[in-house]
Amino acid sequence: MALLRAEPVSILAAGVVTPIGTDLDAFWSGLIGGADGISTIERFRVDDLRVGRGGEIKKLRAPRAVEAPRCRATALLLAAADDLLGRARLAADPARVAVVVGTALGGVEELERAVESDRGPRAAAGALYDSPAYALAARLSARGPVLTVSTACASGATAMGLGADLLRDDRADLVVAGGYDVLCRFVMRGFDALRSLTRERVRPFDRRRTGLLLGEAAGLVLLARDRETRGRRLGRLLGHASTSDGSHIAAPDPHGRGLDLAIREALAEADVSAADVDFVSAHGTATPLNDRIETTVLKRVLGERAHAIPVNSIKGAFGHTMGAAATLEAIMCLLASREGLLPPTAGYEEPDPECDLDYVRDAGRAQRTRVSLSTSLGFGGCNAALVLEGVG
Amino acid sequence: MAQVAALGVLTGWGESTGALPADAALAAGERRVVALARPALDGARFRRATRECLLGVAAVEAMLRDGGLGREDIRGERTALVYVTAAAYGASNLAFIEAASGQGTLHFPYTAPSAVPAEVAIEFGLTGGYVILIGAAPATLDGLWQAATLLARGRCDRALVLAVETFEECADLYARGRWLSRGPLVEAAACALLVPGGVTVTETEPQDGDLATLARQRAGETLACEPLVALALARDGGRAPAWLTGQWRGRRVGLQLSVLEQAASA
Repeated sequence: MALLRAEPVSILAAGVVTPIGTDLDAFWSGLIGGADGISTIERFRVDDLRVGRGGEIKKLRAPRAVEAPRCRATALLLAAADDLLGRARLAADPARVAVVVGTALGGVEELERAVESDRGPRAAAGALYDSPAYALAARLSARGPVLTVSTACASGATAMGLGADLLRDDRADLVVAGGYDVLCRFVMRGFDALRSLTRERVRPFDRRRTGLLLGEAAGLVLLARDRETRGRRLGRLLGHASTSDGSHIAAPDPHGRGLDLAIREALAEADVSAADVDFVSAHGTATPLNDRIETTVLKRVLGERAHAIPVNSIKGAFGHTMGAAATLEAIMCLLASREGLLPPTAGYEEPDPECDLDYVRDAGRAQRTRVSLSTSLGFGGCNAALVLEGVG
Repeated sequence: MAQVAALGVLTGWGESTGALPADAALAAGERRVVALARPALDGARFRRATRECLLGVAAVEAMLRDGGLGREDIRGERTALVYVTAAAYGASNLAFIEAASGQGTLHFPYTAPSAVPAEVAIEFGLTGGYVILIGAAPATLDGLWQAATLLARGRCDRALVLAVETFEECADLYARGRWLSRGPLVEAAACALLVPGGVTVTETEPQDGDLATLARQRAGETLACEPLVALALARDGGRAPAWLTGQWRGRRVGLQLSVLEQAASA
C-alpha cells in the first residue's frame, strides 16, 4: 500500500524551560548568543561519578496557579506549560484538549525517593512514568486523551507525531505535545557506567568528540488542525515517523537503517523531497558512533543535496535533554525559520573526514529556511524524524 | 479499519483465557501479586535481558502459535510494533537503584521501558513503525488506535500491540499505591496482531458492564494487558466487534475493534 500524505498540523505556540533559558525568548537568545548551559551538578551527589557536569537548570521558577510540585519532572513540565500559556490560549472544550508528552525517565527520581522513604502512596504513584503527564493535564484542565510516550531519547518527536495523529483522527481539537526529562542521580549513574559522558567539551560532529553530557529541560508545543487555524502560527508539522532498528538494545544500528526509514517515511508523509529540505537539526549527541552513523544516513537519504543543506546540533550548548531534546530541536527549527538565523553547533571546531556535511558553526548563520528535518535516536533502537515548515 | 488476527495471552494463571479462574480475587486469596515465571528462553543474547523482556518475547511467540504463523510472517519493516506498559520498568529501575555502584549493576539500558520492545524487535526482526506508550488500559486502547492508524495510512501491513506488566519486585511499593489499582495484581504479557479489515476502529463512549469488567473479574488487575485479555475473552464469547473500555487515573476510554473468529482460542 502506498504511503499516504498526511494533513499538515499547525504549531500555534511553544513553551520551554532549559538550562540556557527558562522561557522561549531566553532559549532562543541563548542559542544564538552562544550561552553555555553546562555546569557542575549541584542538586544531587556526583562526587563518586566520573563526570559530574551537565545541563542543570539552577533556578526553576514556581508554577503559576498551582502549588509547586515535589516531583521535579512535573515541575519542569509545568514551567514549560506556563511559558506556553503566556503565548497562547487553549481555546477549546477541555474534553477536546489532549496532552501527549514524551519522556525517557518519567518520574524515576520519585522512585528513588519512594525507596529511600516510606512516604506513602503518593511516592509510589509518582514513580510511574505517566504521572507527570497527568499532572500537566490537570494544570491545563485538559480532559481529552493523555498519552505518555517513551521512545527513549526520541520521545519528544514521537509525542509530537502522535499529537498530530490525534488531531487528524478528530480525537482532539487542540493538543499540547512535547517532552521532558530531569537530571537525576539515576540517569547520571547509568550514563556514567556506560562511559558515554565526556570529561571534555561536548563537540557534535567534531573530529575530537568524545561523548555527550546530559541536560534537563521541558519543551511543549500547541498543535491544532491546520485547516482550522486562523491568525499567527509558529509553523507546521508536515510529517513524522518513528521506527525500530531491531538491532541492539543500546547502540544504533551500524548502518542506520531505522533512521533511514524514519526520514524517508516522514518526508513521504510530508509530501516533500530532499530538494525541498532547507535545514537539518541533527540528533548529534557527540558520541563517535552516533554522529558518524547520522552523517552517513543523511548523505544516503538526501543524496547529492546533503552537502548543500546546513546541519546543526544544539546539544553542545546545554547537553542531551533526552525526552525533551527532539521537541526543543523542533522548536529551534521553527524559530530559525522565523528569524532567518541558524543557531551554531556549539563545540564544533575541527572537521572530521567521516562527518563531512555543512555543519553550522561559530556564531551561527543568517539564512532563510522553510522546510526543516529533525532527527532523533534513542535506546532500544528508537528512531524518529519530523518534517517541519517554518513561517519565515 | 483494523481487525485482530491473532492473540497471545500469558498471565500469572497460565497461558490463554482457558487458564483464567472464574473469580481472580477469590483465586488469589491472600496473594497481593500473582506472578509469572521468567520464561526459559535459549540464547546468549538473552543473558542480560530482564524478566519483562523475556515475557514480551514469550507473548509474541504465543500470538504466533495462536495464529498458526511463523516468525517470517512478521519479520521486516512492514510490521509495526506498539508496546504498552504501566509498570513493567519498575523492577529494573528498582534493581538499578538498589545495586551497589559498579558491582553487579544491571546493564543501564535495560532500565528503559524501551528495553522490552527492543528485545522483541531484535528477536523477531521487526524494523518498522515503533511506538511505546506508558499507562494502563487506556494507554493500550490508545496503542490499538495508533496501530489502526498506521495500518490505515499504509505505514505497515500488520501491527503488533504488545503489553507486559510485572509487579512482583515492586510489590511493597504498589501496596503503598493501592488506590491506583483494585487488585489482585496479576502479572501478564499479551500480544495482538492487527491486520487491515474489519470495522473502523472508533473511540466510543465507555460501555457499562463491559469486557473490561469481565477481564478484571477473570484475570485480576493486569493494567495495560487488560484490553488484550478482554479481546481474547470477546473472541471466546463470539463477540465481534468488541467494545473495549479502559480506566486509569480518572481517564475512561472506549474503543470498538473487530476480532477474527477463525483463529484458535489463545
